[in-house]
Amino acid sequence: MEHKRFELAMSPHVGTHQSTRKIMFDVVIALLPALAAATWFFGPGALLIVALSVGAAVLAEYLCLKFMKRPVSFAFDGSAIVTGILLAYNVPPGVPWWLPILGSAFAIAVGKQAFGGLGHNIVNPALLGRAFLMASFPILMTAGWTAPEEWRNGQNNPWETNGIVQEELLEMPNADAISGATPLNVLKQSFDLDKSADLANKEGNHAEALDLEARASGIRHALSQKSTYLNLLVGRRGGCIGETSVLLLLAGALFLIIRGVLEIRLPISYLGTVAIFAWVFGGSGWFNGDPIFHVLAGGVILGGFFMVSDMVTTPVTPKGRIIFGIGAGLLTMIIRRWGGYPEGCSYSILLMNLVTPLIDRFIRPKVFGEVKEND
Amino acid sequence: MSLMKDLTNGIYKENPVFKLALGMCPFLAVTTSVENALGMGAAATFVLIASNFLVSLFRNLIPSKVRIPCYIVIIATFVTLVDMVMHAYLPALHKSLGIFIPLIVVNCIILGRAEGFANRHPVLNSVADGIGMGIGFTMAMVVLATFRELLGNGTWLNMDVLGSAFQNQPLLIAILAPGAFILLSFIMGFFKILETRKGGCQ
Repeated sequence: MEHKRFELAMSPHVGTHQSTRKIMFDVVIALLPALAAATWFFGPGALLIVALSVGAAVLAEYLCLKFMKRPVSFAFDGSAIVTGILLAYNVPPGVPWWLPILGSAFAIAVGKQAFGGLGHNIVNPALLGRAFLMASFPILMTAGWTAPEEWRNGQNNPWETNGIVQEELLEMPNADAISGATPLNVLKQSFDLDKSADLANKEGNHAEALDLEARASGIRHALSQKSTYLNLLVGRRGGCIGETSVLLLLAGALFLIIRGVLEIRLPISYLGTVAIFAWVFGGSGWFNGDPIFHVLAGGVILGGFFMVSDMVTTPVTPKGRIIFGIGAGLLTMIIRRWGGYPEGCSYSILLMNLVTPLIDRFIRPKVFGEVKEND
Repeated sequence: MSLMKDLTNGIYKENPVFKLALGMCPFLAVTTSVENALGMGAAATFVLIASNFLVSLFRNLIPSKVRIPCYIVIIATFVTLVDMVMHAYLPALHKSLGIFIPLIVVNCIILGRAEGFANRHPVLNSVADGIGMGIGFTMAMVVLATFRELLGNGTWLNMDVLGSAFQNQPLLIAILAPGAFILLSFIMGFFKILETRKGGCQ
């Protein structure tokens, strides 16, 4: 029984020059520079993964809408493209071709359409897709770190210039010729060495403990060099496809800020919190961590500007957004320092997505005309 | 006639898991393989039938103020029996079900049927209800376990189904806890669609 109805859009019903389509295509444009960097450093395979992921996301959206008898035009509003790109940006470049397809399809079908489509999803679909892939294929998702092209040719290897890190990398169980660890993996390894040193100390092997401690602090020292910072800024390092090139991600974010799409409070509070807590407990002891390294390494730049700032899954009030950013930043650093994974960006955002309704409930703007209650 | 109705009631119309949403804890926890699901289903069905029988038999003797402790004593007796028999004759299954065997005592399907059905129906009807609910519970667990074992391990009842290429990279999440919740929600959604198509309740 098909009959015409008055279609009511989601609130807020405000006249604006923005539309979902416009915003989404702005985000796509903002994400493209980082793709260029990924293709440059990781080879055309990275481009293929992104293409497959986007294709699968749009197709999954189309099929879901068709199946649920909702207008299929929603599939082409660009939001599925953004999800597809973000998911692909969150997987290592060395994954098999079917992995991003599966992840995108899950992100759209379960993370978004099962909850009622754009605007109704509780968590960021791309991050949910990543969490799904992490739980399903932990080995593929943590071992496919392709080293940037230039390293493979044996030239310009930043870890080699830092000497000591290269040596540690070679001792990693799965290290082979073409895979390289991410900077955060290397950092995590230094914390593991610290733990071994503690253990050795307890057993009375003080010489061994001293040696281990020296190696750990050597790694951390190497990671805090200017050359490391430079590599991290440019994106010449192991990592997920889209998270590596900090400069190009920032360029994209700047474009979004100029276009008025990106709300600056979320990224600032998130990255600020990461930096502060990196200094507080990001190093071996207290108050000697390296905030620059922690902000540049891993996925916090990608997460901070493109995922923490997701409009659907974050609080609506300015104050709520700052709380969200601080919470996510704190969780990121806690996972990085003490958690089982080297990087905590995606899980921290997912966890904060879940408490977004609570934040919105408690941080309410004062309604105009409201009178303070006398008690 | 009514006996038949009590028997079939638990299988689809008031399926304890998919319709009443009871017994979720063991349902989500032990359905990692079809074998576990069948074992758990058999154990729960036995306890359900036996406790329904005894509760119904003593329904006029048990004072209503202390009825819940009485039901628990009855249920716990049978659970202990099942626990010991399984430990003696099926040690592997007993080990893989682990804590969830003693936890049948607090399985809300069993207490729910004692309180909601057996204490006001004759013995035969109560036994029929126990059989029906037990079958319904077992079937529901086998359905979920089928999906979880197939996707998460590539096997069904330990038989190789999807081949070694799949088994090298199975969808691990299906075996893990989140997979249970996701699949359960899809199965329940499927039943909801069936219901609305039929123009049934709500």
